[in-house]
Amino acid sequence: DSDDIIVIPISQKYLKADSEKMCIEIISLAFYPEAEVMSDENIKQVYVEYKFYDIPLSETETPISLRKPRAGEEIHFHFSKVIDLDPLEQKGRRQFLFTMLNGEDPDQGHLKFTVVSEPMDDENKECQEVGYAYLELWQILESGRDILQEELDIVSPEDQVTPIGRLKISLQAAAALHAIYKEMTEDLFL
Amino acid sequence: SCARDSGAVFTFGKTRLAENIPSKFWFKNDVPIYLSCGDEHTALITGNNKLYMFGSNNWGQLGLGSKSAVYRPICVKALKSEKVKLAACGRNHTLVSTAEGGNVYATGGNNEGQLGLGDTEERNSFHLISFFTSRHKIKQLSAGANISAALTEDGELFMWGDNSEGQIGLNSISNVYVPRQVTVGKPISWISCGYYHSAFVTMEGKLYTFGEPECGKLGLPSEQLINHRKPQLVSGISEKVIQVACGGGHTVVLTEKAVYTFGQGRFGQLGLGSFIFQAPEPAILEHVKDQKIRHISCGENHTALITDVGHMYTFGDGRHGKLGLGLENFTNQFVPTLCSHFSKFIIHLVACGGCHMLIFAIPRR
Ligand SMILES: [Mg+2]
Ligand SMILES: [Mg+2]
Repeated sequence: DSDDIIVIPISQKYLKADSEKMCIEIISLAFYPEAEVMSDENIKQVYVEYKFYDIPLSETETPISLRKPRAGEEIHFHFSKVIDLDPLEQKGRRQFLFTMLNGEDPDQGHLKFTVVSEPMDDENKECQEVGYAYLELWQILESGRDILQEELDIVSPEDQVTPIGRLKISLQAAAALHAIYKEMTEDLFL
Repeated sequence: SCARDSGAVFTFGKTRLAENIPSKFWFKNDVPIYLSCGDEHTALITGNNKLYMFGSNNWGQLGLGSKSAVYRPICVKALKSEKVKLAACGRNHTLVSTAEGGNVYATGGNNEGQLGLGDTEERNSFHLISFFTSRHKIKQLSAGANISAALTEDGELFMWGDNSEGQIGLNSISNVYVPRQVTVGKPISWISCGYYHSAFVTMEGKLYTFGEPECGKLGLPSEQLINHRKPQLVSGISEKVIQVACGGGHTVVLTEKAVYTFGQGRFGQLGLGSFIFQAPEPAILEHVKDQKIRHISCGENHTALITDVGHMYTFGDGRHGKLGLGLENFTNQFVPTLCSHFSKFIIHLVACGGCHMLIFAIPRR
């Protein structure tokens, strides 16, 4: 009877090997109750963004802002994006990641996440960066393991050191980073 | 036959079908008439009254005589001689009922007596619940986390399983291993079991809730929550209620005029916007007030609405693509969002589970 059913994937695109893509998920965030962002009434809603090489910023920011969390509350984005790292079509992205693995990028091998305060629709104000969180890529290559549901410190933009909250993210890139590193370092010996 | 004209079932999220890649399937000589998604498994009934199951099976919830997971729909041969009519998939168990004989069968986990067989032994094939005889014409089945319900055509409701939080409405009784009638003295027209709470609608259009009182999912004022172990009238809705759907921590209600949501909403499953993550009492879903909603469905953390012209809106947890709004990049949705990929289809059926969703859709002419 099961031969009476035809099952097909909606698209072949999603059969791409793990070593030819990476997936970044911005999961959730919370602020520490004593952080200035909590008592600042001008900050009402926030979103999170990161920058990745040639990908437009509109594609690497959470599609929505969420109400600033209350003390003890987390806000949940579950914003995940797959980044294509095809060896033939995405040489630029692969080179960029290799540069990061060598710590030679502006953020010294870290993927930088920015928490941004968005003004309400009727407010005539600009967005304002309220915190940064950094994820080091080398550890993924070193451990061979993806980063799953890890909490990063969010630090204040003023001194880049004072922790003001936590950002939970996942980054599935171990297979791709391994393949890229191998490809780029093998080239050095040719 | 081909999906082009007679439609197809589309799958989203972690269905366990085809390694969780969004897929579609159709029958060569049959058509789906009923879908039910549990926490990690799925039941499908066809026009020829055959039952197909797939998904996780570690409790025997697929009723196939084993505990191996199944990655494509398999027909339950043991029920082939019966005309299967309804199915309900819970967290780790499954109920089905048949036409004509009026039999009700159960399979899967049974720690709290949710199979209704008089004991707490798990089963991995469908067993007849002897309580139900041909005089019970079953209109609806529902299954939650260790709870079960069957509603008859003449408005009698029977529930069984875990009553530790009053989620089967039997007050101070703890577990019940065989079906027991739950009544408020009026005929009932609709039942829904969430994971830890339940709700029903009477034929005159009143809504009752019971079960775990936390997070506002019962939609009752705080002074009433102490009586959460008995069905209580939700007075926050005045017009006639038609359907109710209970998820993991939220409740969605369809009335003749509007859709209401209440309970836990931190992933957007209440659809009340990006500033509201919880509602203790029914709140109108303003976003769809100009739509005529025909059917509502709740998974553990998400919600689906079907309109009278077969469009679908989804909201809540976007993980793994269960909202059907995209194939690769996902996000939580905090307002009802039109599934525009299916604008050229009429969506006839939807079922929402723990981390997946299925629809049956036919191309518009
Ligand atoms: Mg369910
Ligand atoms: Mg689950």
